Amino acid sequence: MDPAEAEFLAEKELVTVIPNFSLDRIYLIGGDLGPFNPGLPVEVPLWLAVNLKQRQKCRLIPPEWMDAEKLEEIRDQERKEDTFTPMPSPYYMELTKLLLNYASDSIPKADEIRTLVKDTWDTRIAKLRLSADSFVRQQEAHAKLDNLTLMEINTTGTFLTQALDHMYKLRTNLQPAESAQSQDF
Amino acid sequence: MLMQPTLLTCCFPEKIRRGICSCIVTCGSDGDVRIWENLDDDDPKSINVGEKAYSFALKNGRLVTAVSNNTVQIHTFPEGAPDGILTRFTTNANHVVFNRDGTKIAAGSSDFMVKVVEVTDSSQQKTFRGHDAPVLSLSFDPQDVFLTSASCDGSVRVWKISDQTCVTSWPLLQKCNDVINAKSICRFAWQPKSGKLLAVPVEKVVKLYRRETWDNQFDLSDNFITQTLSIVTWSPCGQYVAAGSVDGCIAVWNVDTQECMERMKHEKSYTICGLAWHPKGGQIAYTDTEGNLGLLENVCNKDGKKSSGKVSSAVAKDYNDLFDEDDDFLNTDLIEPRSSPKVVSNEEDDDDDDLMLASGHPRHRGAIIEDDENSLDTALMKVNSNLEKDDDNDQDGSIPVLPVSTTQRPFYDGPMPTPQQKPFQSGSTPSHLTHRFMVWNSIGIIRCYNDEQDNAIDVEFHDTSIHHATHLPNSLNHTMADLSSEAILLACESTEELASKLHCVHFSSWDSNKEWTVDMPKDEDIEAICLGQGWAACATSAMLTRVFTIGGVQKEIFSLPGPVVSMAGHGEQLLVIYHRGTGFDGDQCLGVQLIELGKKKRQVLHGDPLPLTKKSYLMWVGFSAEGTPCYVDSEGIVKMLNRGLGNTWIPVCDTREYCKGKSDHYWVIGIHEKPQQLRCIPCKGARFPPTLPRPAVAILSFKLPYCQITTEKGQMEEQFWRSVVFHNHLDYLSKNGYEYDENAKNEAAKEQQELLMKLFALSCKLEREFRCVELADFMTQNAVSLAIKYASRSRKLILAQRLSEMAVEKATEMAAPEEDEEEEEEDFRNHLNAGYSNSTTEWSQPRVRNLHEQDMEDSKEADAVEEVEEMPEMQKFRQNPFCKTVGLPEMSAPKSAVITTSSQGRVNPFKVSANQKDPTAHSANILDNMSKFSKNTPTPNSRAVNKQKSPVIKPLIPKPKSKQALAATFFQPRPPHAGDKTVEEKEEKAENILPEIQAAVTENTENKRPKTGFQMWLEENRESILADNPDLEEADIIKEGMSRFRVLSSDERMVWTEKAKGVAASNSAEAKKRKRPADAKNEGKEKREEKSKEDSSLPKKRKPLDPSINVRLSAFAFKQS
Repeated sequence: MDPAEAEFLAEKELVTVIPNFSLDRIYLIGGDLGPFNPGLPVEVPLWLAVNLKQRQKCRLIPPEWMDAEKLEEIRDQERKEDTFTPMPSPYYMELTKLLLNYASDSIPKADEIRTLVKDTWDTRIAKLRLSADSFVRQQEAHAKLDNLTLMEINTTGTFLTQALDHMYKLRTNLQPAESAQSQDF
Repeated sequence: MLMQPTLLTCCFPEKIRRGICSCIVTCGSDGDVRIWENLDDDDPKSINVGEKAYSFALKNGRLVTAVSNNTVQIHTFPEGAPDGILTRFTTNANHVVFNRDGTKIAAGSSDFMVKVVEVTDSSQQKTFRGHDAPVLSLSFDPQDVFLTSASCDGSVRVWKISDQTCVTSWPLLQKCNDVINAKSICRFAWQPKSGKLLAVPVEKVVKLYRRETWDNQFDLSDNFITQTLSIVTWSPCGQYVAAGSVDGCIAVWNVDTQECMERMKHEKSYTICGLAWHPKGGQIAYTDTEGNLGLLENVCNKDGKKSSGKVSSAVAKDYNDLFDEDDDFLNTDLIEPRSSPKVVSNEEDDDDDDLMLASGHPRHRGAIIEDDENSLDTALMKVNSNLEKDDDNDQDGSIPVLPVSTTQRPFYDGPMPTPQQKPFQSGSTPSHLTHRFMVWNSIGIIRCYNDEQDNAIDVEFHDTSIHHATHLPNSLNHTMADLSSEAILLACESTEELASKLHCVHFSSWDSNKEWTVDMPKDEDIEAICLGQGWAACATSAMLTRVFTIGGVQKEIFSLPGPVVSMAGHGEQLLVIYHRGTGFDGDQCLGVQLIELGKKKRQVLHGDPLPLTKKSYLMWVGFSAEGTPCYVDSEGIVKMLNRGLGNTWIPVCDTREYCKGKSDHYWVIGIHEKPQQLRCIPCKGARFPPTLPRPAVAILSFKLPYCQITTEKGQMEEQFWRSVVFHNHLDYLSKNGYEYDENAKNEAAKEQQELLMKLFALSCKLEREFRCVELADFMTQNAVSLAIKYASRSRKLILAQRLSEMAVEKATEMAAPEEDEEEEEEDFRNHLNAGYSNSTTEWSQPRVRNLHEQDMEDSKEADAVEEVEEMPEMQKFRQNPFCKTVGLPEMSAPKSAVITTSSQGRVNPFKVSANQKDPTAHSANILDNMSKFSKNTPTPNSRAVNKQKSPVIKPLIPKPKSKQALAATFFQPRPPHAGDKTVEEKEEKAENILPEIQAAVTENTENKRPKTGFQMWLEENRESILADNPDLEEADIIKEGMSRFRVLSSDERMVWTEKAKGVAASNSAEAKKRKRPADAKNEGKEKREEKSKEDSSLPKKRKPLDPSINVRLSAFAFKQS
């Protein structure tokens, strides 16, 4: 899975928008949406929210956690703890990115939020690398990491498994390689 | 240590709370400013101004303090909110004072500097340099020309403020190196108002210097004073000087006579560090360096000279308790004296009224302000404010000393009038805010910015398809606004030059002139505005409501009965709320007018009182999106006009129930009835939201305050009535010829009936049969029949019977309006009706035939209804009068039918003789509807429905049958059981049994189809034939009948033929009507089935006469089962 796919999944997350148009309930395969009343908050999937926003058809209400103070707390908590702390949303990174890219005008302190989320992300990725490192170093057979989000797993998942694969090959091929060499000579 | 641990001033006119105007404000070196409402106040309000305070001054709601971070800062008073920093020094300031009008302060600091700063603009500073040691104290000349300062260098200087030059300087004090070491803090003072004299405490005397000449006019001294005086203060009248010494002596001199009038010694001999006169005189508050606060009363009354000696000593004695405590904290000290003044006041209770007269009385001494003497307080308040004014205005130094006379001002103890609430626009935030909402409604938002950079109005529409957002300049300073889908309406109050204006931006206009403005007449201010559909209205201070068209044409004007509070418009409706009168004890007294401005132009609510929650005021008023007037009061109760109950107001929501915190509120912006939504903005810790960050709308649901809402019954009752209330608007709309959603109405009715059925079932389960009947009374006919089914199925036969009785009554009621209509048409019938009720049918029958043959069907139905109406009364008192009138003597057969069904209670005696198929039609209709209904509403009585539908009825057969019979029989006599059974069976298995039925009813069909006069005659006379020849076969009966019929005269035969024609016509109509649009395949069958059913229904009545058929049918039925 690549990040684009993770983002695609994240687009199903519901966010609240305030439409500036009027539309009856719409019936989609994924479920019913609406009704849309001008000025009244309504929950829609992120993809629709972004689309409406791009067409200037709505205002976005940021999710509750997308607030500088709360994120600061989360970041501090994340830095304090050695393990992964639970994130406010399983798609926090994707939501932040999409919302801030397309609707930064409806989100107060957008820049601050971007920084805070990035900080949290970096902290978590660093932890992830660290744990991967110790995992490899200690030659553990298995490890359990809680509270990881899909996007985070994706960033290292492929690399880590491949790396482990290679390492395994290298280790197991130590013998055959020698023999192969001997065969060559 | 001489540094002031406690400083003091007293009595503030700014104090807003009613009844308490006299308060004492103290400031301790601990940085706390306390506001004492009186000396017994054991919980003074406290404002913390800093870690350590050195000095403070108070004027015009500003509290200026010199604090330990070397600044002089302002706090608002009495709120205590920080209001900025006035100036800074390199070290702490020792003294701050206000000038007379409170525009400037002077501050003297330990860095030898004196500064004079404008309070409103701290950049305007003047610095006075010249002292060589820390500045001790300062004093403004009341005429704002001079400033005096004292310093540790021993000098007292007089400065000219304008050019900051030193006018004169006296070396009066002992030199020292710091304030802490100074013997005296030298609080000198200028004589108030004129500023002719400057009083300076020097050693044991008070030196008085003359203005301009600066020579020592005279000294005030007394033997009583044994230590250095450190504080001098003038009485507000400028006649007396009080001085406090470092050993706790306080002495008061009359300046004119230079006579010492009062002497008082502090029991503990603590250094007096603060003295303040009550603005009306007569009281001196003082503080000492140990942090105690005391009060001298009745100081220097005009006629109190004699008592002065005693006063002071008595005071000292009284204060024994007060100063007993060593604790240097004010609070604790002041708990103690509570008891002592009580005693004093108790003693004085009797002669309280002649307080003044007895001023020479020894007991009449400096008492602590009595906490139980309201009269005194209020008197003080009034005197106080007067005096303050005098203080400011009178420059002549006149002495407004006011003797306190409690007798002159009897304290009013009854309910207090409530200040009337100001006019407001619904959905707006207070107009004093720089950024505010002028209106937020279901159309959009109008915001107003009024700050330095910008004075503008932003209009934003929720639905951008109405109009795009606009930005308007606000040069006229509009304060009111309203927004509709057609226009923006703005209004401003009048200014000195400009009249009050109404400004309308009619953006939906199709011409190019989108704006218009109207000036109000001079001295008439717009106080409230609103927009409706195609019109705008404003209410003015002249108590007029002016209506304009949306294009700006002036329309109606009408007077309001009181000052307007708010108004709202919707469609053609205008709602005006105004003050009907004065409310008492916190209540408002509001009235409401609801006017329809459309074609009808009528007043719906004629200034009725608006019921507000106790002690609340109006917060929001408007219409629901569907056009029902609503309002919200400050207690968060939303009320709605209940048009279904004589235009009463019903509370539909309590927004406070949804609030988490005590100070949280919901700011209502709109109400929708379908879907039921209360749109509002949650405000944390406030009544209204700020413009930024942009608030989010929340939706609350409605809840009527019904009892026992936790129980199932309560819940359903609430739901039912809520549904009723919230669909009243549909009736209103339909009555007023508006478009409305028929579906919504049906859905609402369905929902209500469902709830009723649920309630019915619940009551049934609880064996509350009476309640069941009451509930059924709310139901429609269909639901009632369903209820009857339910009741009979749950073996509640009495209930079922009662219900069916009720159903009949209901039908009668329903018929009543129809009849009314008919009556209008047919006057003559009306007359006959009135006197002679049983003739109705006689008359209607021929009428129907002759006049309305083309719409026979309708009239027949009406007839049936009439019959039904007549039925109950007639069957009781008359023995089948119809039969008699028709002239048929053979009544035994119909009677027997009646008797067999009499268990049912009500029977239609006409059935037999006249149009028999009408009742059938009725019952069939009911059955049809019932099945339709049950299909529609599967949930409430799915049990009943299922049973009815399921083919596996066999074991239950008797029950459903009886039930169906019950359901069917309330409009018709119940046929004998055998026939009944047969019919029912037939209905159930129509398909299978068709052939047999056909066989069974062939002759009937023949009989009936082209029903001839003979046949009718035969029907009537069969009985008599049978009676004569009881052993005749069916064919023989006919033969016999034939012969008898021929014997009749031709006239008689004609009558019968005529009759037969009429019946045939109606029969065919009936058949047509009942032909259902069934699928082609079944059509034929169905028709036949219908026919057979009809036939069987006819025989039903004739059954007793037609035993052979009966027998055959019943035999068949039994075979089948």
